[in-house]
Amino acid sequence: MLLNFDRLGWWKLVLIGITLLTAAFLLLPILFIAALSFGSSQWLIFPPPGWTLKWYQELLADPRWLESAWTSFQIAIIVTVLSVLLGLVTSFGLTRGRFMFREALKALFLTPMILPVVVLAVALYAFFLQIGLNGTLTGFVISHLVLALPFSILSITNALEGFDKSIEDAAVLCGASPFEAKIRVTLPAISHGIFSAAIFSFLTSWDEVVVAIFMASPTLQTLPVKVWATLRQDLTPVVAAASTLLILLTVLLMVLVALVRKGLKS
Amino acid sequence: MLSRTDARAPGSKAPAYRLRLTDFDLTLPALGLLVLFFVVPVAILLARSVSEPVPGLGNYAELLGSSTYLRIFANTFIVSGLVTLVSLLIGFPVAWALAIMPSRLASVVFAILLLSMWTNLLARTYAWMVLLQRTGVINKMLIALGLIDKPLPLVNNLTGVTIGMTYIMLPFIILPLYGVIRKIDPAILQAAALCGANRWQALVRVLLPLAMPGMAAGALMVFVMSLGYFVTPALLGGTANMMLAELIAQFVQSLVNWGMGGAAALVLLVVTLALYAVQLRFFGTDRMGGR
Repeated sequence: MLLNFDRLGWWKLVLIGITLLTAAFLLLPILFIAALSFGSSQWLIFPPPGWTLKWYQELLADPRWLESAWTSFQIAIIVTVLSVLLGLVTSFGLTRGRFMFREALKALFLTPMILPVVVLAVALYAFFLQIGLNGTLTGFVISHLVLALPFSILSITNALEGFDKSIEDAAVLCGASPFEAKIRVTLPAISHGIFSAAIFSFLTSWDEVVVAIFMASPTLQTLPVKVWATLRQDLTPVVAAASTLLILLTVLLMVLVALVRKGLKS
Repeated sequence: MLSRTDARAPGSKAPAYRLRLTDFDLTLPALGLLVLFFVVPVAILLARSVSEPVPGLGNYAELLGSSTYLRIFANTFIVSGLVTLVSLLIGFPVAWALAIMPSRLASVVFAILLLSMWTNLLARTYAWMVLLQRTGVINKMLIALGLIDKPLPLVNNLTGVTIGMTYIMLPFIILPLYGVIRKIDPAILQAAALCGANRWQALVRVLLPLAMPGMAAGALMVFVMSLGYFVTPALLGGTANMMLAELIAQFVQSLVNWGMGGAAALVLLVVTLALYAVQLRFFGTDRMGGR
């Protein structure tokens, strides 16, 4: 009864109603920001009195926005590459290994994902102040790598656990070296796991703000830090323009993921 | 350990097994990274809480003995509890509907859930700052509808934080709960109906108890995530609603008091780990995590 959609009666309408309201609650703020970024009102009046591109012009004319976006992009790309490589090696060790404390090690690798980010942020801030890594690209990369690695290990380990190792062994029996078998047989088979590891790592770094607030210096800051610093002063529509570009990037990534999933299925 | 790799002899059954022993080596680079840039810094921070400015438990005595700080602890729990409760109240019917609605419609809702989850946190928080401000759309709409005479203070207070954080946490409760409800056998509810249960009885005595593990796990996860939240409370909350993460940041950034910062961090860590231990003990590991 309750789990049969067609036999719910008027409860069906209530459930659908709540669901659609929730979907609207989740979607409307995003659309709202996108609309406001084209609105001419400095005070973010809605509906806007007129339409304009001037907030985008202001955004693109300010070198600090572009610089911080470029910094974010560089960090995110380096973090993605390192996180996937490290995640691959570690996941092979974790799934194939039969050593003691394997589960404990796995749990340790996932801890940065569940601990409050602010604790890691403050701890790394103190540590980096002492060893001189604060406000450097290296400092950003290291701290974002610590946050991204659990997602990478989780995705790739899942994929590896679903892969039948005897296929790799068969390749070795057919004359491939163990390394060659991994590269040419196993890696293509777990490519979906590697792909989600890359996407998650990129987003973790690109969107990360708490650690970045502590890590940033007046000369080196990421895009989220720039947004944060601007928001602490006022609610300028320039942030709406920046947010809209970020939303656009999210949509593009989602489409990319959907396309790759479809490609992998067929 | 490398010598074991060298020792493998072709043709025997031993090599594959011996090769596995070196698999531990593969985890060493990541382990090194984590120890050096995660375990050690956190350990140093916690150590400073009992060594600065003077050795002893003075920081903890101050933290747990002052009404200012106790109010912040209480506030952290109130906000997290409220966010969890509201997320659960909205999340359960949505997860239920998603589990049984036609897949076409469900996939649209899922796409919206994902879009919301993946959209930059600051962009989402900014949206609520604008929507909830005194001259914002929500106040204007309420006035236009004649429900209120003058704008309500919706931001920089408990209302603002609760709305903004519920907005962020909803997907984290809907998705795992959907998985749990999806797995419930509809025949059980048919049986309840055949045995004479009306809808309410079936809901309260069959569906809710069956979904309870998922609700508890999701609620615990949202609660723990909320406890440590920094950005959204800082932007949507007021000074009267400061949360623990903001207090830690303030100790370190504005007051440069590492001892107190470390002590507050330890409190947050202990509460978080204790709640995760409860989660692991009762619900297993499979529903952990999430951004």
